[in-house]
Amino acid sequence: MSGRALDVLIVEDEVLLATELEYLAEEVGYHSVGLAMSSDEAVDLANSLHPDLALVDVHLQDGPTGVEVVRKIHDDCGCVALFMTANVKRLPDDFAGACGVIGKPYSEHGVKMALAYLAVCLEEGHAPGWPPVGLELAPAFAERWGLTDMPRTA
Amino acid sequence: MTDYLQSQRASDQLAAEHGIDDPFAAAIRATRMAMIVTDATQADNPIIFANDAFLRLTGYVRSEIIGRNCRFLQGPETDPASVAELRGAIADGEDIAMDILNYRKDGSTFWNALYLSPVRNKQGQIIYFFGSQLDVSDKKRTEDHLRETRSDLEAAVEARTRELTQALEQKTALLHEVDHRVKNNLQLISSLLLLQNRREKEPGVKASLRGILERVNAIATVHRRLFQSADVERFDVSAFVRDLVSDMTGSANREEIRVRLDLERVDVAASKAAPLALVISELFSNALRHAFPDGRPGEILVSITRLNGDFRIEIADDGVGLSETARSSGFGLTIVQLLCQQLKARSETTAADSGTRVVIHLPVNGVHH
Repeated sequence: MSGRALDVLIVEDEVLLATELEYLAEEVGYHSVGLAMSSDEAVDLANSLHPDLALVDVHLQDGPTGVEVVRKIHDDCGCVALFMTANVKRLPDDFAGACGVIGKPYSEHGVKMALAYLAVCLEEGHAPGWPPVGLELAPAFAERWGLTDMPRTA
Repeated sequence: MTDYLQSQRASDQLAAEHGIDDPFAAAIRATRMAMIVTDATQADNPIIFANDAFLRLTGYVRSEIIGRNCRFLQGPETDPASVAELRGAIADGEDIAMDILNYRKDGSTFWNALYLSPVRNKQGQIIYFFGSQLDVSDKKRTEDHLRETRSDLEAAVEARTRELTQALEQKTALLHEVDHRVKNNLQLISSLLLLQNRREKEPGVKASLRGILERVNAIATVHRRLFQSADVERFDVSAFVRDLVSDMTGSANREEIRVRLDLERVDVAASKAAPLALVISELFSNALRHAFPDGRPGEILVSITRLNGDFRIEIADDGVGLSETARSSGFGLTIVQLLCQQLKARSETTAADSGTRVVIHLPVNGVHH
């Protein structure tokens, strides 16, 4: 990755998952700025740290509040979020403003590929190609990153 | 009473025109169907003829009705919309047939299948209306009864459907809840293995942890795909293999090994998905790790086809072959053997021209054809 490391905020109530995810993110060049386990913590941290990317689970310590968290931090500080959830089908059609979703259970390789791909999208404002297996982009971001007019078999 | 007299005169005139020897008039007088004729040229269209059947049906005597508009047949329960429709047809000079609730002289009601039609003279002017009445109360009662029975039945079916839909919704919600927990726990297990692997320095232990992680990942890949389709009981093997192989190849980071997929779409029962995934994962992992030592390039083929009612799963490589390398710890192959036993599948391992070919024959419905 070129330039400075992107700041990532992890919003996840399972601390073992969060710890391992932090390692994986740093291995592909992100800088982890914090871990939130509830919706309040997540919103506070996003507002004070302005991360480049927030990895957000739907189920947090205070219930299934991840979707609200994503909407709020998107509206409050324009923070780009990525859902990481076992309930991909339950997400709203507009992804609540998030850039996409990685379905759980994800693999080490899958999550690293997805995060490396997103780093390029975030830094260059343009996707390097179609997203890797396991990452689904929100329609708004697929358009923003120029995927709508990219041929399927690149 | 001038109205009455006028109607009586019209009636007499009609009778004079159609004397006792007129067979049509005789038929109308004698028929069992109630019939009337009204005089359209007089104000308020009064009755000028009624046959005996009409008097029997309504309970009036002739003198009580000649000269009157036939609205005396209507009562409080008569549908105003029907009355309006009737009035409209008369005003427009059109035929009309309808079922209308009418009243007898004694106040009792009957359903009247009324047919009313205008009679025109040679100049095309309406001079009479002809009406026939048929008591269809029995038919109406039967219809009402049927309608009630049907609506009772419909209500019962609707209630039952609602119950079943609710039960299904609850079951689906429960399935999603369990699915969610299974997925989260698989994620937790793989995170634990990855975390421990980070701490571990001993290469042998690290290799074991990696092996277990790979198996957990195979099961996790199944669960990511499970319940995704509309049919929760079937599992698309080809989609799963595509996910698994791409993930394993990617994480092996061996660009000199090409992977060729030849996948026909086959479904298996969801209950067979995890054991089958483990078998494929072991075989593919074996080829990936042992067939191409020291950066040797080559190709691995994964193919799934239908053959004589069985699924034929082939994993072949053009690597160094069986004899030249001590393949895996042996535990991987034990897993393959045991799971094939469980799946009632046959496994054949042959030395290919170069490399190794493993073919699994999986019975579609639990038996070989």
